[in-house]
Amino acid sequence: MVDQQLLIDEVKKVVSRDDVKYVIGYKKGTSGFAISPAFAYSTEYADKFIFNPLCKKNLAAYPLLEDKLPLKREEKEDKRKIGIVAKGCDTRALVQIIQEKGLKREDLVIIGIPCSGIIDHKKITAKFPNETAYSTIEEEQGFYKITINGKVHEIAKEELLADFCSSCIAPNPVIYDVLIGEEVEPWNLEEHKNLAVLEEKDVGERWEYWKEHFDRCIRCYACREACPLCYCKECMADLLNPQWIRRSVNLSENTAWNIMRAYHLAGRCVGCGECESVCPVNIPLMELNKEIEKDVKKMFEYSAGMDLEEKPLFGTFRPDDPEEFIM
Amino acid sequence: METLILQKDKLPKLIEKLSSSHVLYGPTEENGFSLFKQIKDFKELNLKYLLTRVSPKSLIFKQTETLFKFIPGRKGAVTSSKINEEKSIIFAIRPCDARSFKILDPVFNGDFEDPFYISKRKNTVLIGLTCNSPEKNCFCTSFDDSPGSTENVDILFTDLDDRFYVEVVTEKGKNLIKSIEDIFEKSTKNDEDSKRNIVTNSVESITRKMDLDSLALKLDKMFDHELWHNTAQKCIGCGICTYLCPTCHCFDMQDESTLKLGGRVRIWDSCMYEEYTHHASGHNPRPSRMNRVRNRVYHKFSYFPKNEDISACTGCGRCIDYCPVNIDIIDVIEKVGVIANE
Repeated sequence: MVDQQLLIDEVKKVVSRDDVKYVIGYKKGTSGFAISPAFAYSTEYADKFIFNPLCKKNLAAYPLLEDKLPLKREEKEDKRKIGIVAKGCDTRALVQIIQEKGLKREDLVIIGIPCSGIIDHKKITAKFPNETAYSTIEEEQGFYKITINGKVHEIAKEELLADFCSSCIAPNPVIYDVLIGEEVEPWNLEEHKNLAVLEEKDVGERWEYWKEHFDRCIRCYACREACPLCYCKECMADLLNPQWIRRSVNLSENTAWNIMRAYHLAGRCVGCGECESVCPVNIPLMELNKEIEKDVKKMFEYSAGMDLEEKPLFGTFRPDDPEEFIM
Repeated sequence: METLILQKDKLPKLIEKLSSSHVLYGPTEENGFSLFKQIKDFKELNLKYLLTRVSPKSLIFKQTETLFKFIPGRKGAVTSSKINEEKSIIFAIRPCDARSFKILDPVFNGDFEDPFYISKRKNTVLIGLTCNSPEKNCFCTSFDDSPGSTENVDILFTDLDDRFYVEVVTEKGKNLIKSIEDIFEKSTKNDEDSKRNIVTNSVESITRKMDLDSLALKLDKMFDHELWHNTAQKCIGCGICTYLCPTCHCFDMQDESTLKLGGRVRIWDSCMYEEYTHHASGHNPRPSRMNRVRNRVYHKFSYFPKNEDISACTGCGRCIDYCPVNIDIIDVIEKVGVIANE
């Protein structure tokens, strides 16, 4: 468990630094199990900061979302650093973005959080559909202890744990400036639940499976906006001339979009699960991402966002790279 | 108003009859939630969930509508799209979702008449279903609506455990019932009381409330307030709120063509996207997330009520439930109230 006071104290230290603009973290949401991203500009605001197993959102998307509006005359760009509370996967996203030169390491102050897995909001909301508030949520020896209206509910961890957390290779932050508490023990890795089942099936069956999911897609592009690695200035899906993907919502275009999204993240996806957890129509996007991640690992012995000194996978070439897929 | 009773064991028969004479849409189970889809068999119907994930506006104001087809090039020609006039029914629509059409009507059947929307609206019968157990983010009562309102439906069903209490509200509803009268029974005063009790309990269970008192006036005075920046800072611009919203109605039109054949399609758009209303000149009228989030709130609670005398929100709570960063519209409006009172 993360010591809340320790977190608040560290956030206060960071936010009071002269070279820091603000610190991004989490606070309690307005209803149910919602968690809200929080932006602390002052030490007082830092008192609202929390970290518990519901803090799923990968905040690494925020530094890139900063509005870069044209400066007024004599106005100077605010070049101070951004502080960010980051779990293992969040720091992997930051490393990947830094490798790709989307962000600079020196522009960030990373408050690392050792994470023992997070709760899938869809699972907990299904379990307690109408609870308007919880008071505490703690993890203890394989159980989540959730206090709602004074009553403590003990629920087995695996019942609520997000599927993608079971295959997490970096529960501890891979880079940080301060670490809150002790590192956690990595766990025995399991594959994404459905992956093996899908691989057994023949192409026809797999197509049926994905067809059903893609047919439901409403193309809101929330998967793209939530993904910390989807930060292209202009997304291919929005281009009109040439228009690579039509905006018409039908199985063909939806399939094109979903496959394109997954492939653009090949060797870049850090497995944080943002896309899947925000998807309003429950498309299991992480199954696509994990399958590609598996191929990348097998062919190139590469995992995205693990090492600042490394170059991005598709920015490198080795003479012994596998090439059986090149015609 | 005519009131009837339908025994629950007659529901399959009702579905069979309605689906043979009309295109019948009803909530169906989809990977852990529900969506309106065409149903032909009672077994496909799923009334377990309160609201469908995507609102039923998608059945009348479709996400993709082909306005006309064309042949590009020198021998170009245009063929108009046929207006769909098939008779359809939306079964088990919730009163808040039914209210959304009251809000969409002036948009598509006001100064401009949209033949696609108008035809579907005219040819669709709305059969409502009272909400016996509203959910945590429901707030329809803030808009003087009710979980058992008959105001915007043609027929309203209320689940009384072993039977449905059926209120036939409009002529359209009467005409539909006329042909299948034999499966219904007469209702009693007792049934009416049962419905009233259910609605009273439902109303009491709604805990969230939005203060709409002179909201448009309050908003007028705080266009430049820092609230909008603070709210928008956490917005990731994903568009979920607009796509799930029963009243959001912005669209884009694009030509999609191959060398031989093309079509002009109308598709849903979202004011949360950066390229929304981005001008060809490169100018963007709402360049930052602050502008876009503020615009959505103002459109719903200031511009729209000023133009059409109704807030563009039904209190369904979808945007609160599914916003990945907890931008809670009730909370935002509450803050507006606090600022206005300062």
